Amino acid sequence: MDFDFSDDQEQLRDAVRRWVDKGYGFERHRAIVAAGGFERAAYGELAELGLTALTVPEAHGGLGQGAIDAMVVMEELGRGMVLEPLAHAFIASCVLSAHAPAALQAAWLPRIASGEALVVLAQQERKARYHLDKCEAKAAPAQAGYTVTATKSIVPAGDMADAYLVPAQLDGQLALFLVERSAVGATAQGYGTQDGGRAAEVLLQNAPATLVTQDGLAALELAVDTGIAALCAEAVGVMDKSVALTVDYMNQRKQFGVAIASFQALRHRVADMKMQLELARSMSYYASLMLGAPASERRMALSRAKVQLGQSMRYVGQQMVQLHGGIGVTDEYIGSHYFKKLTQMEMTFGDTLHHLGEVSARMQDTAGVFA
Amino acid sequence: MDLAFTPEEQAFREEVRAWVRAHLPAEISHKVHNALRLTRADMQGWAKILGKKGWLTFGWPKEFGGPGWSAVQKHLFEEECALAGAPRIIPFGPVMVAPVIMAFGTKAQQERFLPGIASGEVWWSQGYSEPGSGSDLASVKTRAERVGDKYIVNGQKTWTTLGQYGEWMFNLVRTSNEGKPQTGISFLLLDMKSPGVTVRPIKLLDGECEVNEVFFDNVEVPVENLIGEENKGWTYAKHLLSHERTNIADVNRSKRELERLKRIAKTEGLWDDQRFRDQIALLEVDIVALEMLVLRVLSAEKSGKNSLDIAGLLKIKGSEIQQRYAELMMLAAGPFALPFIEEAMEAGWQGNFPGGVTANAPLASTYFNLRKTTIYGGSNEVQRNIVAQTVLG
Repeated sequence: MDFDFSDDQEQLRDAVRRWVDKGYGFERHRAIVAAGGFERAAYGELAELGLTALTVPEAHGGLGQGAIDAMVVMEELGRGMVLEPLAHAFIASCVLSAHAPAALQAAWLPRIASGEALVVLAQQERKARYHLDKCEAKAAPAQAGYTVTATKSIVPAGDMADAYLVPAQLDGQLALFLVERSAVGATAQGYGTQDGGRAAEVLLQNAPATLVTQDGLAALELAVDTGIAALCAEAVGVMDKSVALTVDYMNQRKQFGVAIASFQALRHRVADMKMQLELARSMSYYASLMLGAPASERRMALSRAKVQLGQSMRYVGQQMVQLHGGIGVTDEYIGSHYFKKLTQMEMTFGDTLHHLGEVSARMQDTAGVFA
Repeated sequence: MDLAFTPEEQAFREEVRAWVRAHLPAEISHKVHNALRLTRADMQGWAKILGKKGWLTFGWPKEFGGPGWSAVQKHLFEEECALAGAPRIIPFGPVMVAPVIMAFGTKAQQERFLPGIASGEVWWSQGYSEPGSGSDLASVKTRAERVGDKYIVNGQKTWTTLGQYGEWMFNLVRTSNEGKPQTGISFLLLDMKSPGVTVRPIKLLDGECEVNEVFFDNVEVPVENLIGEENKGWTYAKHLLSHERTNIADVNRSKRELERLKRIAKTEGLWDDQRFRDQIALLEVDIVALEMLVLRVLSAEKSGKNSLDIAGLLKIKGSEIQQRYAELMMLAAGPFALPFIEEAMEAGWQGNFPGGVTANAPLASTYFNLRKTTIYGGSNEVQRNIVAQTVLG
């Protein structure tokens, strides 16, 4: 039982934080939002820092690091509201190295590691809400490999990505496929999202696809759990910054002749924000530490984490806005962007009620970190 | 980072578990698991069993006869005791006053008082709160006047937990009115059998007498019972409070009570009621999150890195969780939590509890009783002030 970071992890954190502070300030963030919410050059900078390679196995040109390293990185990216979806590099490397045939791994993992290929999870369907086993996309065998027909929504940077991980039904069973954006029959229509990022509707019409695994549900669950752990860490970074912004503001802003930080009604709100932040940080650690556990324990742990994070994100975001007063609801102020980021994250990879249902369904007689 | 305890810590846990299983009397754990009334004999009996093993002093360093356990070992010990259904260790002697006597007492005081605390023979009470002092501890008014080789103590303490059983009492008393309120306070050990001491139980909303008023009318206390220096008592009191660390979260007992809540929900046919079950799930998430927070504090203590100054958060969240499980237990029984039949809270009662489930008898009482948790030990509002101070300055 040890929650200290290694020296390497501290150095990794410092390196990412330096890049965020110097290279990804609010002005650049704004510029990227205005330009559509995704910038390939910025993603390239993440790759130069070695972050796209972080969790790719060394045999495929990666750094072979683990969930805690990814967590450290995501916290820092959250602090800077980085829009480029690095979490999907972690998802793709994790799922491909755990489930894909060797040839597919050899074809894609080195390119994911180098940042040359952005592979994103294209999972959301209109009727599925947050249920991973609900999927209408269809796959069929073809002369060479398979074809997939699907409509997937809110696919991160979907019109900029190079390939998609696509769950689809194959012979009545959920399987996972890799489909290139350049494939015949694949079209993507991009749009902005509430957090300033980018997503797309991805339409696949008999698009050529490569099978990742026929055990699609297990792979998809692993993908989403990896995504949840990354999201939890990112959210901790966002909330850490949100609390810091609020504290700064309260010590500067004067009303009735004194700093509003002197008002007890507001101070207690800040204490509650700190509570939510530290509970969230604790559960973010838990999420990443449990990623390697057997699937049933892992699923329960990640749902528990998402319930805590969902509550924390909503509280911290809403209170940040409230404690800022009018400035908190302006587009000009950075805080409102953090609030929108937190809001979007609550509804990504399953919202609080969905995961509460998961926890509820999986509850045992005993409970605890070690039970 | 690693979630698992080390093999040594695991082995330690197994050792404690086996020992507790072998030595905790079944009739006592039955009462604890079902929130039935514990007698003084139950509480002190378990203390003496622990004392004999040398574990009542589980937080003490080796030089004073304690086991010298690490923060993690102490946590594991407390967890195993809680999950097994052991009564909580009455903290006033071994956990609260003993560290003060060790740190600031004379050798003679240590030799006189520590053995009785370590064995569980002597029941100690806490004399901090006074009428009107609330969470403002430094407003102590009970006076101690030095006359020759004695202090003459006059005044009143209140909320003295289980003071009706108390034999000795540690007190904050005012020995000077000069300077700030904190500077004129002294730390006195007082024999509760002394003439002029009156203990009057306070009946609480659950019908129980868990706390007391203690009156001092010209009580004579020999000066050799003063700890450290006169007027420095506030420093010692703060030292004492700094020893209430992660256990203020009480997460181990909450884990046990969550198990009990699930049993109650099943008995009451609510396990498949989605609305109710989701409330249990929310509580479960809260408890796991609190446990992770506690483990982070322990890890920081172990490594000396990333120290976490979050005692206030542990107290707030821990107490809210205690209130919530009690509330859900009561709501689970619903109307069958309403009969107030005091005998049904005694072990072995053979009567017919309305609805037929005697386990429902103490649920409302526990709910009422645990409203105290957000009030005592520095109310949660005071805790929020402290947390806000660390965050906002």
